Amino acid sequence: MKKLIALLLAVVMCLSLVACGASNDTAANDAANNDAATTDEAAGEATGETVKIGMVTDVGGVNDKSFNQTSWEGLQALAAEDPTFEVSYLESKTDADYASNIESFIDEDYDLIICVGYMLADATRAAAEANPDQKFAIIDDNSCEDLPNVACLMFAQAEASYLVGVVAGMATETNTVGYVQGMVSESMNQFGVGFISGVLAANPEATVLQFNANSFGDPTGGSAATTDMITKGADVVFHAAGGTGNGVIEACAANKVYAIGVDADQSPLAPEYVLTSAMKRVDTAAQDISKAVKDGTFTAGTHMYDMTNGGVDIAPTQDLLTEEMIAAVEEAKAGILDGSIVVPTTAEEVPEFTLDDAE
Amino acid sequence: MDNVINTVGIIIYATLLYTPPLLFAAMGSCFSEVSGVVNIGIEGMMTIGAFTGATVAHFTGNPWLGFICGGLAGMAFGLLHGVATVQFGADQTISGTAINFLAPGVAIVTAKAIFNSSDTIPLEPTSKIPTLFSDVFTSGTAWSNFMKNIFSTYASTYLVFVVLILVWFVFYKTRFGLRMRACGEHPLACQSLGIDVQRTRMICVCISGFMAGLGGACMTMATTNQFRPTSIVGQGFIAIAAVIFGKFRPQGAMLGCLLFGMCSGLRVVIGTSSLNISAQLISMIPYVVTVIVLILFVGKSHVPAANGKPFVKAK
Amino acid sequence: MSKLEKILQSAFFRTLLSILIGFAVGAIFLLAVNISPVEAYEKLFTSIFSSPKSLSYCVVYATPLIILGLSVAFSFRTGVFNIGAEGQFVVGSMAACVVGILVPAPPVILPILCIAAAAIAGALWGVIVGFLKVKWGINEVLSMIMFNWIAFYLSNYIADIPLIKSDGNAEATKNVQEAAMILLPKSWIEGLGLCNSASWGIFIAAALAVMVYIIIEKTSLGYRLKAVGFNRDAAEYGGINANRSIMTALAISGAMSGIAGATNLLGIGQRIAIFSAQESYGFQGIIAALIGANNPLGVFVGGLFYGAIKYGGSRLNLIGAPSEVVNVIMGTVIFFIAVSHVFKFRLKKEKGGKK
Repeated sequence: MKKLIALLLAVVMCLSLVACGASNDTAANDAANNDAATTDEAAGEATGETVKIGMVTDVGGVNDKSFNQTSWEGLQALAAEDPTFEVSYLESKTDADYASNIESFIDEDYDLIICVGYMLADATRAAAEANPDQKFAIIDDNSCEDLPNVACLMFAQAEASYLVGVVAGMATETNTVGYVQGMVSESMNQFGVGFISGVLAANPEATVLQFNANSFGDPTGGSAATTDMITKGADVVFHAAGGTGNGVIEACAANKVYAIGVDADQSPLAPEYVLTSAMKRVDTAAQDISKAVKDGTFTAGTHMYDMTNGGVDIAPTQDLLTEEMIAAVEEAKAGILDGSIVVPTTAEEVPEFTLDDAE
Repeated sequence: MDNVINTVGIIIYATLLYTPPLLFAAMGSCFSEVSGVVNIGIEGMMTIGAFTGATVAHFTGNPWLGFICGGLAGMAFGLLHGVATVQFGADQTISGTAINFLAPGVAIVTAKAIFNSSDTIPLEPTSKIPTLFSDVFTSGTAWSNFMKNIFSTYASTYLVFVVLILVWFVFYKTRFGLRMRACGEHPLACQSLGIDVQRTRMICVCISGFMAGLGGACMTMATTNQFRPTSIVGQGFIAIAAVIFGKFRPQGAMLGCLLFGMCSGLRVVIGTSSLNISAQLISMIPYVVTVIVLILFVGKSHVPAANGKPFVKAK
Repeated sequence: MSKLEKILQSAFFRTLLSILIGFAVGAIFLLAVNISPVEAYEKLFTSIFSSPKSLSYCVVYATPLIILGLSVAFSFRTGVFNIGAEGQFVVGSMAACVVGILVPAPPVILPILCIAAAAIAGALWGVIVGFLKVKWGINEVLSMIMFNWIAFYLSNYIADIPLIKSDGNAEATKNVQEAAMILLPKSWIEGLGLCNSASWGIFIAAALAVMVYIIIEKTSLGYRLKAVGFNRDAAEYGGINANRSIMTALAISGAMSGIAGATNLLGIGQRIAIFSAQESYGFQGIIAALIGANNPLGVFVGGLFYGAIKYGGSRLNLIGAPSEVVNVIMGTVIFFIAVSHVFKFRLKKEKGGKK
């Protein structure tokens, strides 16, 4: 019995320690929160009105190295510069989590719910129809554009990958470039289609080796496929493959050839070898729509983010690009803007894109 | 002909890329299982090793220090498993399952505490495990590409085979190895011969955690350059499968890991070729082939007799 | 033995103690990330208990965990470790999904067909493993790990077949017909303020718990299965066909995992997405079984607890706390459940000393 009492005492002490620690910690905690740009009610209340922005990720999670992460970083940056914004996210672990996550934000009276990815389209539609006063935004989907309370944020990612395609076409000395895609889907295919068009526009001689990794989380496979491509002569490899792309960049660095990143400026992953990146400014889009809610200028329907409004672009890091490449990129940009270049978006338009055939 | 050389080269390259994390973990699993402790927590130990390795290497800039620390972190959880199962005679499956939840949780929460993100900061090339002979072989002809792909690989790949020889030696040529295997078969007989079964098992479980940690660190310090929550997804279980495949012998486990790595390489080669097969079916290859090879060539595997049974000292 | 001591020695008390320790360890990690544990746990519990809606969500989350837990508990009791529940869950969901999309049948009949298809698919996935074991002596843990992955890619493959695949641009199957869903009547949901996904699933789980109890404790089949699990050689000596018992046990366990997949699909999912990573329902089922000490009633309660923590825990992100803390808590709970019999052991010794 004595030992049992000792054990119970130990547990009680543990708990009370924790409780004490907690109360002591609150002050420090608040200070830390200011820096970390997470929820900070105090600051918001001081200026009167808080705008609560909630983000629901798809199953990739918030650190997916792709649109979930970029959106969240955009929101965090927004909250850091304007403390009236209170931002938070809920991660979806499975397809079944979308509805309950959206509902949680509705229950907590968020002003705007940003749903990241076309996988959330059905859940968003259901929630938006059931809660007509709640504002929603959905990224990469326009199936909800008929609803009066949903803003559909669409991206012309093919235009960004076209630009890096132009760079790749010029940079290759072997007339062979590689492309690794994370998964075959309409949205992902746009990256490949745009890239191949860009490569061929800049260098009609070039061939594009392609690989569907069938996973966003297999860097080993990405690395092996990239080495395969390099062995077959590729000297520039572009990836649109999330975490699998880490392996692509790694293999390029190991073989001292160029890699091209995606979504964000991936230069920090290997500054000497990441030639450029196809940027999809999901962060800007998330910030814009949040600001619109604050200013009362929120509009439903499709918001197209393309070259004209800087929604897609080539990465700002251009240390490895030659003068000619930069000039060619500027020329391509101008062509896209004035309509003389129309970047294809579907697999049917670009027969050289082979990944879609394999079901 | 060049095509054939290229393809074979890539398959070997991919095999050597997939194998080291698996083989380190599998050798760890061998130690534990052979001494009579089921260690299903290998996956968790790999994850904590992967995280610790990448973190320490990031802050110290020393890849080998990071690598060892990754092993030590795995060992800490090995110790936990040992205390629970060997010391207190807890159910080994339950304790292992607990570690599979605990260790990744600890890794990610700690990552968030240190980096304010569940990813670690990408390692500088100098703090990564280096590649060997990268300047010896140059690309050019098919043969030189072949040699480059096979031999210009990470130091950890060479290391894993050196360690394998060491482990084989410990298993079959030392007194400790003999005792360890005896503890897994007839613990009571061992005790009557004056072998401290508990102590032997404890050491084995700790070694097993250490090796699993090294395996995890390979993943984040060689194959990639940062820890992410998806760095270790299932490799631990594949390693356990390789051990059962290899009939609980380190050299057998190596064959299991190589087979699995080779099939994964095959998957990549088929994927980059122009063959028109569903990516989903291609992705199944490693798993299906493992089962088929088992049926055709391996068959029944002898599980150490006292495996999974807690040993209580007779008095 | 005093009444107090009896309570203290019960499995229930030890589990409770383990849960307390789990939360204490979780608190330490929360402090490490500069989050007040009090605030975090408050959020956790208010997320669970704030409304009938959130409570019903917890039940919805718990349903597949309970059924998977029963499946795993059943396998444990019969001497196999069903680490393959994950794969059986996946093929079960897919079978139910295919039937739910393609078969034209009226309400009530259709869900039954879906669940039957799921049970058959899950059982088949279990029996294959059993067959490999009895025919070629292939270790079941090994083949289950392989079959989990095969199920994963098989499901992705089927979801990509044009007949099944969504017409929209979602990488998922079509939605199953409304008639296939097992949701509670709309009037109940609105009347009680439950969540839209509240379904009959929990009742199916309860029925299965009773069934498992009866099979294990009250039938000769259960006796035979347990006997083989306990000591294969002795059972065979006693005239029990061990190979057949192993196959039967895996079939029943697999069927339950398959049903878990079906209830999840017909209750909340309505479609199956093309996976990019394993959802690890199987391992969560193992956790539910372990909390419940492999006892059907215990698994039911343990599954509810885990479901609630899973639902509430994911809301920790709202206050900036890492939701992975839930894994730390659950890992610790399981760990202490594993070693908790030590406490009991010590107590007994002490009592002996007093005499």
